Amino acid sequence: MTQDPRVEQFIASFQALRGEVEKVIVGHREIIDHVLIGMFAGGHVLLEGVPGLGKTLLIKTLAEGLELSFSRVQFTPDLMPADIIGTNIIVDDDQGRKHFQFQSGPIFAHILLADEINRATPKTQSALLEGMQEFSVTVGGVSRPLPAPFFVLATQNPIEMEGTYPLPEAQLDRFLFKLRVRYPAIEELNAIIDRTTQVRTVAVDRIMTGPAVLGFRDLIREVPIATHVRDLASSIVMATHPQWGQAPEVTRRFVRYGASPRGAQALVLGAKVRALADGRYNVSADDLKQLAAPALRHRVILNFEGEAEGIDVDTLIEQIVDTAVAATGQGKEQFVR
Amino acid sequence: MAHPDALDRLVREITTQVRWRRAEHYGLRGLFWGAVAAIGPLLFRLVLGPWALALAVVLLTAGAVAGVLVGLLKRVSPEDAARLADRAFGLADRLSTALEWADREERTRLVDSLVADATARVESVQLRQVVRRILPREARILPVPVVLALVLALAPPMPLPAVSLPDFSSSAQKEEARERGDGVTLEDRARPLTKDKIQKPVFEERDWNQKGATGAAATAGDLSAIFKDTSLANQRPDFNSFLKKGDERLKMLEQMDRIPDLQSDFTSSQYKMVFKKSKELKTGLRDTVSPQKLKELLEEMERLGRKSSGGWGQDVNEGMEALEGGNTDRAMDAMQKALDKMRAQDEAQRGGKNLRGGREADRRSGREGGRGDGGPDDQDFGEGEGSMPGKGKSGSPKGEASQRLRGNPYDVGVEGESRRGKKDGFDTNMTGRAGKMNSRLSYMGVIGQYKKAMEDAISREQIPRDFHGQIRDYFQALDER
Repeated sequence: MTQDPRVEQFIASFQALRGEVEKVIVGHREIIDHVLIGMFAGGHVLLEGVPGLGKTLLIKTLAEGLELSFSRVQFTPDLMPADIIGTNIIVDDDQGRKHFQFQSGPIFAHILLADEINRATPKTQSALLEGMQEFSVTVGGVSRPLPAPFFVLATQNPIEMEGTYPLPEAQLDRFLFKLRVRYPAIEELNAIIDRTTQVRTVAVDRIMTGPAVLGFRDLIREVPIATHVRDLASSIVMATHPQWGQAPEVTRRFVRYGASPRGAQALVLGAKVRALADGRYNVSADDLKQLAAPALRHRVILNFEGEAEGIDVDTLIEQIVDTAVAATGQGKEQFVR
Repeated sequence: MAHPDALDRLVREITTQVRWRRAEHYGLRGLFWGAVAAIGPLLFRLVLGPWALALAVVLLTAGAVAGVLVGLLKRVSPEDAARLADRAFGLADRLSTALEWADREERTRLVDSLVADATARVESVQLRQVVRRILPREARILPVPVVLALVLALAPPMPLPAVSLPDFSSSAQKEEARERGDGVTLEDRARPLTKDKIQKPVFEERDWNQKGATGAAATAGDLSAIFKDTSLANQRPDFNSFLKKGDERLKMLEQMDRIPDLQSDFTSSQYKMVFKKSKELKTGLRDTVSPQKLKELLEEMERLGRKSSGGWGQDVNEGMEALEGGNTDRAMDAMQKALDKMRAQDEAQRGGKNLRGGREADRRSGREGGRGDGGPDDQDFGEGEGSMPGKGKSGSPKGEASQRLRGNPYDVGVEGESRRGKKDGFDTNMTGRAGKMNSRLSYMGVIGQYKKAMEDAISREQIPRDFHGQIRDYFQALDER
């Protein structure tokens, strides 16, 4: 079997980076993989979980494994957009003349950790919109590009809702994945205790540079996808829309708004990274199934009935995917047709 | 970039598997419907003879072969076959993606790697049957028509039910055809009829003249039977044909002398026959009794008395002795006594069928008590006699009113009364309670209400359906008056 050297390099880098993160983070293998997938797909990742599960540590460790600049912003209600983007300040030059000079904010970094992003006001949250989508910010009429690769990793706490500002849909849609960090199992908890309560320093090696990440991002886009697999992705996304003619019953009953085209892009791009990281040169239907929940769960807005009945969006998406798979003939023999 | 042989080979293999599975699927369906079709000729084995079995086999085989051919010839998409192989061999869509992208212009280096990777994995695949067998619904009930066809094939031919479509042609057409001798060749006509061709002549073919020549009694009996024949109407469904051909009964009515005595036919009894003969004792216009006829009558009464032990044998013997002694009057009295006893026995035999029971019997018994043993006038009326005006023996030309009338205070009657005046007239007065009532309703005023009540009663189905027409006819008759 002939292996493309770039693919070999990607797989090795991916696995090495995962290994470095796992030096610090116990368990959460799937979360780590999805964070890496999101980064290589060129998207941003929102991590949601209760405090103390290692969300911030995970991101900091990832940043340490990459030879990239890293900024951390603790979002609070009094945080202003200028605190993130930066602002023009008056400075004196050598001749004593005063002029405006742009003082860049923490957004000007390769990796931005927006910790507890839902604690900031919507005005401040929206300061990230342009940067996350356009990879540039505009201050004082001047648009300034962000360093590439630019990667936002945000965290939010789902239980302390008092004094928080839920992210607007437009902001949520800009995140490639939304990952739910679950509580560790007991074995993982034991490992966490052993690893963090002993006198042992863990050094994280830098595995990857910025240009390497960008190169891998280009490689990811070369991964071919078969027509029927692409059709399945479209069907899954369309099936989240209650207005769609072939939408399943659960969608019509519990969903108010379905996923945007960004959801389909996230699904296919994530599937490509997952396929390549798995050593495959093509996207399979299984890749789509595995990434449907992280790519769509924050893009599906439940209606009143769904909220009132406490519908779990992940379960809903699982049913939607099953329906789409059955509708496209992926899961059953159709040779008699 | 051409597809590697390994990929195409796998796709061909899967395609072949799909074809055979389809052939099985559609073959079973064809076999089922062929078996169903084969039942048809087997049911008509009596008609088709040996061809039935051959036809059934041909249909069965043709159904199965047609199904197999459909399955084999139906197109299998290479893309579908590749996807089936991907799923069956765990290739994670490598084969289908490689086949699709290998022909694209915009393929990248990764596509080449993909094709190479897919080829390597396909070559390592152990070929096996990967297409599941999907049995059609017909396969579950396939044994039913097959077994039925086998049973029909092995069993003796089934006789066909002797049914035919209703004949909508008019009777006239059929008769014309019969007269033309349709379907009968000259040779058939010339050939003497065989035994099985002899059929009982239908009603229309009876020769009445010939029957009539055999004797009056026989004629009367036959004609009575003919008048009872209700199936005659079914033989003439077409009224025009009925008019054209005519009904023998109508023809018979034209021959007054041959009309059967229906009354005696249906109601004759020993007493009535004897009574009739007793009336014929007087010969001609003279009021003398023929001793010879009286003797014959007494002998017949004696014979009847022996049969039925009616108790009039003693009277008959007295009559015979008186007749031998030349006392005709005494013989007549004895005969009358015997007749009375015979009538009493006849009444007793009629029992509940007697229309004149109850009060009528009481009335008669009371009258008999007052008038002694009565005479022939007080007995049952003979033929042509009775209580109808002009028929009885009353001195009044219109006869006397029934004794029943005014027997009950609730009876209402109508009396005629001549009115003398400038212009003579005739009034009709009501009698009974109705005649004493102060208020009267005019006929025209109440008939409408009664008719409405009648229609309501009919609509509520309180009246048996068979009586509806009769009731309406009655009210229609009232309207006409």
